[in-house]
Amino acid sequence: MNHEGTDMENGVMIVDDNEHIRQSVQMICEFEELNLVCAASGEECLEHLQAGFRGVILMDIMMPEMDGWQTIREIVERGLYSGNLILMLTGMGQPDSRMDGLQEYVTDYLTKPFGPDQLVDALKYYLKLVQA
Amino acid sequence: MKAKNIVVIGVSTGGPMTLKTLFSELPPLDAAFLVVLHITPEMDFRIAQGIAASASMPAELARDAEFMKAGHIYLAPGGYHLKVEGNHRFALYTGPRVNYVQPSVDVTMFSFTRQSAGQLIGVILTGMGRDGALGLKHMKDIGATTIAQDQKSSVIYGMPKAALETGAVDYVLPPLGIAAKLVELLGRR
Repeated sequence: MNHEGTDMENGVMIVDDNEHIRQSVQMICEFEELNLVCAASGEECLEHLQAGFRGVILMDIMMPEMDGWQTIREIVERGLYSGNLILMLTGMGQPDSRMDGLQEYVTDYLTKPFGPDQLVDALKYYLKLVQA
Repeated sequence: MKAKNIVVIGVSTGGPMTLKTLFSELPPLDAAFLVVLHITPEMDFRIAQGIAASASMPAELARDAEFMKAGHIYLAPGGYHLKVEGNHRFALYTGPRVNYVQPSVDVTMFSFTRQSAGQLIGVILTGMGRDGALGLKHMKDIGATTIAQDQKSSVIYGMPKAALETGAVDYVLPPLGIAAKLVELLGRR
């Protein structure tokens, strides 16, 4: 778990058990000079939020133990959603019924593989919104 | 000025970027725009500011008892259902979630009634689930023109697909096509 920058606000958090995805997002964010926090699991995501992270969260759906939907439910139930905005990362074409009741907390979807330009456009737009 | 033409837009996941694309293409039009986006109270004013930053018309959160004005964009606030009384006045209330959400697109669209003058237009954009499908059919039944986003441009082709399946959709278009259609239907101010 990368603790660097866990106290920052208006950053980006990538939550994905796939190291390759985390590294790809890290490279893009470094190039664009966006502050990034990496979490390899839903638990790590919750730890970063409890440590004060606020910003845009890129959330993988398919993760072992706590998947993306369970993680979002925990974020909401623990009162950690405020000040954040969640974009789901998925390799699937369509979400399933586990999203019912969570629509209001999932602002957008990025389908893997996503291009750097698509990711940067989304991050810059949504970072502006969370900073408003 | 009281709005004679009204555009109601229902949208969920993928909505902010889609709304940005749509409104950045629209010139000021002789209509009030009411957007019902599945959003939380924590984010609603930020989304409204995001729309305002990209639109040629002012955008703001809808307030209880407020009258819709032409040339304005209103966003339904998070945590409330929004009905429109007499097709012109906002009424916010809390109640059971409808289609798992609050605000619900269906609630807002079902609150409209047939009007003798002016145009009603209903639009369903990207989103998970079926919210807005029956509402859009209701709008069609009371004389509205109806539009659904196409599959290719939808981040999630749930709500537009459900709307299309009701048989009540007049036009299936991508966001830029929807913008062009709205200009065609409403004319510039």
